[in-house]
Amino acid sequence: MIRLQRQWQNLLEFLFHPETDTWLAVFRIGMGLQVLVYALFLRSDWHSLFSTTGKGLVSRELGEAMVSFDSPLIPKLGWLVAFGRHLGLGEETVLSIAWACLLCMGCCLLVGLFCRAAAIIAWFLHLCAAESGGLLAYGADNFMTMALFYLMLSPLPDRYSVDSRLVKTKLTAPHLLGFWRRVLQIHLCFVYFFGGLAKLLGSGWWNGSNLWRSLIRPPFNLLSPDILVRFKYALPVLGISICLIEIGYPIFIWIKKTRFLWLVCILAMHAAIGLTMGMYLFAFVMIILNLAAFGVGMKVPFIGNLAGGSGSFSRSSNGPRDASGWGCHAVLFRQSLARRRKTREKTAKSAIF
Amino acid sequence: MISKRVYVAWFGIHFFLITAVCFAGLFSLVAERATILPSALDTYARKAELLAAWPLGKHAASSSPVRRSIATYLHAAGIQSGYTFFAPNIPGYHKLIFELNYEDGRIEYESPHFSGKAAALRLDSLLARLGDNRYEPLREVVVKMLALSIWRERPDVKKIRATFGLVSPPSISDFEQGKSESFQPIFSYDFSLRDEQKR
Repeated sequence: MIRLQRQWQNLLEFLFHPETDTWLAVFRIGMGLQVLVYALFLRSDWHSLFSTTGKGLVSRELGEAMVSFDSPLIPKLGWLVAFGRHLGLGEETVLSIAWACLLCMGCCLLVGLFCRAAAIIAWFLHLCAAESGGLLAYGADNFMTMALFYLMLSPLPDRYSVDSRLVKTKLTAPHLLGFWRRVLQIHLCFVYFFGGLAKLLGSGWWNGSNLWRSLIRPPFNLLSPDILVRFKYALPVLGISICLIEIGYPIFIWIKKTRFLWLVCILAMHAAIGLTMGMYLFAFVMIILNLAAFGVGMKVPFIGNLAGGSGSFSRSSNGPRDASGWGCHAVLFRQSLARRRKTREKTAKSAIF
Repeated sequence: MISKRVYVAWFGIHFFLITAVCFAGLFSLVAERATILPSALDTYARKAELLAAWPLGKHAASSSPVRRSIATYLHAAGIQSGYTFFAPNIPGYHKLIFELNYEDGRIEYESPHFSGKAAALRLDSLLARLGDNRYEPLREVVVKMLALSIWRERPDVKKIRATFGLVSPPSISDFEQGKSESFQPIFSYDFSLRDEQKR
């Protein structure tokens, strides 16, 4: 019984370890940029993607019918179009408003204005678009929905947002910030573990042919095959390395000594995917997720903490820590500030006298 | 403490669902003989896939509230599909070619397209789905819609022949020997404005 209680306590300490809100600020700003770029990238094709039969490339209604088969409760753009019809607005107008709203929400998230409302609306509009264009959706959409879902539930606003500057709000409970960061961290471990495992089960990742195929097929063929052929002996090594980096992620990202190396490898992999295959949205959302989950507050060899925040917040670590440590640290910081203020006052007095 | 318990309960359910989705996807790959694992495992993998999909409510009728609730949650959280991107292997890619027959006898070739690069990635995703046997009932409808979009741009086209096929890129050694990709047609449709007939 005592052992069970201890394990329960350990689990709580692991899940609710105190955290600063710096990671949340990185996550919010990153997702704001992502939403902004998503909306701008699809600007010219928005109506072609989401119009009904006779106007779009593939009818929105078809995608929505397929989604409704899974569940009629899944949000879709058709709901907004139907609502707009009640108000006397045409389909094109509603779609344009939805796009403009998404763009606006991206800007709001970027600067941190009405953070919570912006995160909810951005999640809802993106989900509607992703589900209505279900046949045309790809991996980046799932990750964007997932990231916006977590952002919406996270304890916004963070102290870097306009919201917290306008309205002096209390700092969110550090253990809640820690919980949502843990959720993000563990989710990424699932993503890479299963991604790596599935790749290891394919022969093409062992001999490099999968890398070759993925880089020469349209629309990912940004690099000329002639250039790739020059590196043909490196392809099997790269293929196996990708599998090992992904499958090893859930282990090596938690070990302090290997965390920096693994994060750099993963970020480099996503940057390469973006630059060599043109999957910018996918690469960007994965980089944001990794930076928010493991990058912020991480110790960089020879430099120190990476964007760990200021003062008491700089000591945040990703490993499990005693919950009481946070409170003590904050008190220590306040005491050191008071000491510094007193010293400054004394110096000023002595200068006067 | 109570709120922490609520959070922990949500955490447990959420990651249990993610695990189920991921395992179902992984076992499905093994069952489809897409992996390097021996084919003797196919039947076990199929059973394991069904077992993994059970908590997702896949066994229930499509009108079941439990199934619908789970599906809604999975879609809302963006966890409805596993993470087997570019795995286990990367097959060839699919191509849809429209042969446009004009009134004056001219013939032109065209492919469905978007103006932006980001949307082009989505089109690739659509074509990959059309090549999947699970989407077979939708093929004709989707190809017809794509043909219609071409027609809107070129109203003087008399007839459209849509050919969908798999493009197999050359291997590295084939490429070095000067071989290029090969196109293998899978299906084709003839469309005209008045009547559409499947070939």
